[in-house]
Formats: sequence, structure tokens, C-alpha cells
Amino acid sequence: MTAVSSRATEPPADILFRLKVRVVPAIREVWQRRELVRTLAERDLRVRYKQAVLGVAWSILTPLALMIVFTVFFQRVAKVDTGGAPYALFTYLGLLPWTFFSTSVSQGGQSLVVNNQLVNKVYCPREVFPLASMAVAAVDTALATLVLGLLFVVTGFMPKPTTVWVPVLLAVQVAFTFGVTLVLSAVLVFLRDLRHVLPIILQLGLFATPVAYGMDVVTPSLQVAYSIANPLAPVIDGYRRTMLLGLAPDWHLLGPAAVAAALWLAVGYVVFKRLEPGFADYA
Amino acid sequence: MRDGEIQASRVWKRFRADRQRQLLRDQLDRARRRMTGTSNGHGWRWALRDVDMAVGPGESIGLIGPNGSGKTTMLRMLAKVMYPYAGRVAVGGRVGALIDVRAGIHPDLTGAENVYLYGSLLGVSRREVARRFDEIVAFGELETAIDRQVKFYSSGMHVRLGFAIAAFTEPDVLLVDEVLAVGDAAFQQKCLDRMRAVLAQGTTVVFVSHDLQAVESICERAIWLREGVVESDGPVREVLGDYRRTVEQAAEVLTPAFGLVRVVKSEIRGPGDTPVSQRPLEIKLLLESPEPLWASMSIGISEGPATPIFLLGHEAMLAAGQTELRCSIPFLPLPRGRFYLWFGIIESTRDLVPWHPVGQFEVLGPELTPTPRGILRMAPVQVTPTWEVEQP
Repeated sequence: MTAVSSRATEPPADILFRLKVRVVPAIREVWQRRELVRTLAERDLRVRYKQAVLGVAWSILTPLALMIVFTVFFQRVAKVDTGGAPYALFTYLGLLPWTFFSTSVSQGGQSLVVNNQLVNKVYCPREVFPLASMAVAAVDTALATLVLGLLFVVTGFMPKPTTVWVPVLLAVQVAFTFGVTLVLSAVLVFLRDLRHVLPIILQLGLFATPVAYGMDVVTPSLQVAYSIANPLAPVIDGYRRTMLLGLAPDWHLLGPAAVAAALWLAVGYVVFKRLEPGFADYA
Repeated sequence: MRDGEIQASRVWKRFRADRQRQLLRDQLDRARRRMTGTSNGHGWRWALRDVDMAVGPGESIGLIGPNGSGKTTMLRMLAKVMYPYAGRVAVGGRVGALIDVRAGIHPDLTGAENVYLYGSLLGVSRREVARRFDEIVAFGELETAIDRQVKFYSSGMHVRLGFAIAAFTEPDVLLVDEVLAVGDAAFQQKCLDRMRAVLAQGTTVVFVSHDLQAVESICERAIWLREGVVESDGPVREVLGDYRRTVEQAAEVLTPAFGLVRVVKSEIRGPGDTPVSQRPLEIKLLLESPEPLWASMSIGISEGPATPIFLLGHEAMLAAGQTELRCSIPFLPLPRGRFYLWFGIIESTRDLVPWHPVGQFEVLGPELTPTPRGILRMAPVQVTPTWEVEQP
């Protein structure tokens, strides 16, 4: 029998633990556990539909209701230049990415805190929790996109061939959303009270983003700075240009926005990994 | 590093000792104190201090120790759920961890949906879960309840569901934390059988439990943690023996703070002074009472803890002043080892003497019949049978 006891009060500094983040293996591990992302997303969807009478309708209710409100008020009160497209389509194309962003950020931001039972007790790459929230938001968006198709039919307006640019816009949108979600989910573990501030910030964000209005509201000289600060703006503008107006995205704005989104993603991932050793201690 | 190997060296882990709140206000307060240098320095509590643990493939280790000694923290670090503050933890191969099997189960989903959810949390593919679904349900004895929402399950069913799923993952290292605490006896036995089967396949098992009998029945080696430090590490019976003794040595110095009657002296004698297995035993107690009273007395013999192996009860009149109580057993059914004498005078309205240890003694004689792995032996009672084996 061996009795090992060392009664030092502090560990020597040379053995302090540092989490080594190797990006490629970490991403590969998340990819290997993609089924878990799916299962967690499925869990959230199932639970939601079991509790809610409206079920699937919840997914489309938020953007649809806002679309109607915006159409009724903004179209009457403030004349918005839609470039000839129906306002309902114009604003709905802004609401889709915005709703995806705000649902991802608010649900994904809380994902580590809400799933603390799992974070504490089951090993899995921690990225799966914000990713699962984003997957749920993506399902909602997909359903809401069906309504977009319906709107095109009802208004008799046809999407233009330049719609082929949409995947590029989508990539920028998802990268930015994921970056912000990663940062928030990690930070919220340590600053719980931010949770209560988040809805307010998102409310303001809805109006700081060209959802109800167009990009032309912003002074031309400030548009690049605005696009860097809010990469969603040129993305939304891009959807409108490509789908409604038959134009290519405005590369002068989308380019900087893409760089900003990539930075958000990279910095978000680093912040997430940096804070990860504390998740189980505090979640 | 081989699969199933565990190497933890010089592991330190600390937690915040203050309120565990994580609010902006608190963080600012901490930052302010750090900057102004008024930090009180007592902000942290060490959960583990310089813990070494080396386990080879296929070994079975029991982690024991009182509450708060760092057992679960250690297990969580082996499971990669937590990271150490200092030191290194490396585990080879696939790790399966049963740390509160109820954690991964969502109450609003049905049992079947949870099988898939928990399976993928543990890293089992959906195809694999689907293939073994019937086996899992049968193991958990949940055939009739599997399509019901889990919130309508009893706590026993809850654990059965969790363990059943976990039992069918095939890890190289299985970490088990107190899962046997809930669930009925028959299911506990089933879990032990399953763990033994897993061990037979060459899986390394680390088992955390307060149930020392369960640890003894599964593990060959035990590590005893005390206030975050490894107190001893060795063969399970030696470590458990030391542990039981120390737990009660602490209790022994405490003479009860209340109680009308006082135990002045206790004495235990066997045939030639030292008690011997299968021979007579005499227990002598000198009691002191301030007033004459009718007392219902209990004497218990235990391996250390307050739960006795057997109890002896007697009612008698105590005079004011001192009374000597003598109790003789014609035949002591205990094996070789160290045992504890507990005493109490317990009434429904008040405890004249609270239940507490009053002495310890060594028993000479044969070793206890060894318990095969996977059988839970509750208390060491040594019976000497006569065997006859015939080939008709």
C-alpha cells in the first residue's frame, strides 16, 4: 500500500493546466458528433411541439406577424423605396435572416446555461449546444421560407435569375450568426444577468438592421462602416437586390461584411475555447 | 497510451469558495478587488490537491471517501467534463461515464425518444441504438412504459432507463458514480452483473460509491480520498478496512453531548480475553444514571459505521448511581477483523443515551469466506457449515 500525501497549499506554477486548442481536430470531433447536434435539435423541436398547441405554426408566426405589422404601418406612414417590389416581400426578406439571427443568438446564447445538467455530467464537444440551437433556428427559417414562396405566388412577383447568389449571402449570414452565438453562449455562463439584457439588445437590433427599411436610408459615405458593424445589413440588402431587383450583391458592402463575419467567427471560436475549461465549473 | 489506461498526475482542482453566483456585478466586484489588492485570498477552495492516479487496462478501481472529498470531481475530470487547474489527466480509448444517469434524460420526451437522445449523448450512433433497442428496453424492464413521457416515470424507472442505455455503450473505460443508490435491490444486482460482464471484457472500471459493500464486490483496488488528497491506494480490502476504522475513530472521541445516562466504561472479553470467532463473548458496560429509570437498551456490533451487523436488545431497571450491565453471547458469528461496539438507550420521546460507538475490539479466527465478484455481501457474518459432496 502506498500512501501519497503532499500538503503544499498551491500547485507549483510549472504544472498549471492550459487547454491546448488544436482547431482541426476540434472541428473534426464536432463533425463526428453531428448526430448529437441533430438529436439535441430534434429534442428541442419535439419538446416545443409537445407543449404547444400551435406546433409548427410557431416557426412562421414571428416573421409573419412582424411582416404584417410592418406592411400595414411602414407602408402607410413612412414611404420606403423598395425599388418597385411589393413591400411585403421586401420586408419579409429582411425578417427571415433577422429572425434566424435573433433566435440563434437568444436560444444559442443560453444553450450552455440551459443545458447545464449535460455540460456538467456528460462529455461531448461543447460546441454542439450552440450549434443545436442554430439548427432549430434553421428549421424555423426553412419553414418560414415556404411562406416566402407563398408570398411570391400571392403577389404574382417572380424571383429574378440573380437569385443564384443566395448561397454566398447565406454563408456570410450563418458565419456571422454562429460567431455571435459562440461568444454569447460562452460569456453568458460567467455573466448570467446578461440574459435579461439580451432581449432588449435584440429588440434594438431589429431597428438597427435594415429590415423594415432599405439600405439607402444610410448615408452613402457611412455604408461601409455600417456594413462592418452590422454584417446582416448588406446580407439583407443582397437578398433584396438578387431576388427582387435582378442585381448582383453590392460587393463594396458585402466584401467588408464577409470579412467582419469571418472575424466574428474566428474570434468567437477562440473566446469559446478560452472559456471552455470553466463551463462545467460554473454552468 | 494504451486503450483503457488512465494516467493522472499531480492533479489540482479548485472551486470558488464564495457564492457561486456568476453575475456581472460579482465579476466587477472581483475585478475591483484584484486591482486594488484587497482580495482576501480566501476566494478558492481546493477540491483536489496533488492527486496521482495510474490505472492499467482492465483494472477495477473504487474511489472512496466522505462527502466533499473530491471523488466526483476526480471522476468528472477523467470523463473530460471538467479540466484540472494544474496537472495532467490522460485517458486512453473511449470513455463511458455514468455521472448521474438522470442528467441526460428529458422529462417531456418518451422513454423511446430518450433512448436515442441519451445514446447519442454517450456517443452511440442512432443505427447502433436502433439495432439494440429491444435489448436496452428489456434490460431496463421498461417494456410497458417505453412510449410514455418520462415525467410520468418513477425515480427507479428513471435510473433504470439511464443505466440501461449506458450499459450498452461499449467503452474502454467505464466511470460509474453512485448509480446504484437508486433502484431496487434486484436492479442493483443486475447493474453489478453488468459491470462485472464489462470487466470481463477487459474494460477498465472506476467506481465511485459510498456503498462500501458494492465497491468491495466490484473492485480489486481502492483509492481513498480525504479532503482532496489521496490517503491510501491499494488492495480493496486493506483500504476499506483502514477507511472504516478511521471513519469511526473520529466518531469515537466524541462522547455524546446529550443524554441523561452516561457510559462510564465498556469492556469486551472473549474466552482468553481476546474475542475469538465462533466462541463465547462477554460485553460489560458500566452505566451511570442520575435517577432510577426503566431503560430499553440496545447494543450493536458494526464494522465501523452506525449500521450494525447485529443488535442485542434488553430492558432493565437502572438504579440511581452506577449499574453494571453484562451481556453474554454463546457464539460470536464474526470473522477475523476489527469491530466496533455501539450502544444506545433510545425511547420514542427522548434518547437517554444516543446511539454512539463505545469501544472497539479485535476478533481472532478464520478469514471471512471470500465474496466472488459481483455479489453484494451486506455484513460479515461467519458461519461454519458442514459440506457433503457426493457423486450418486
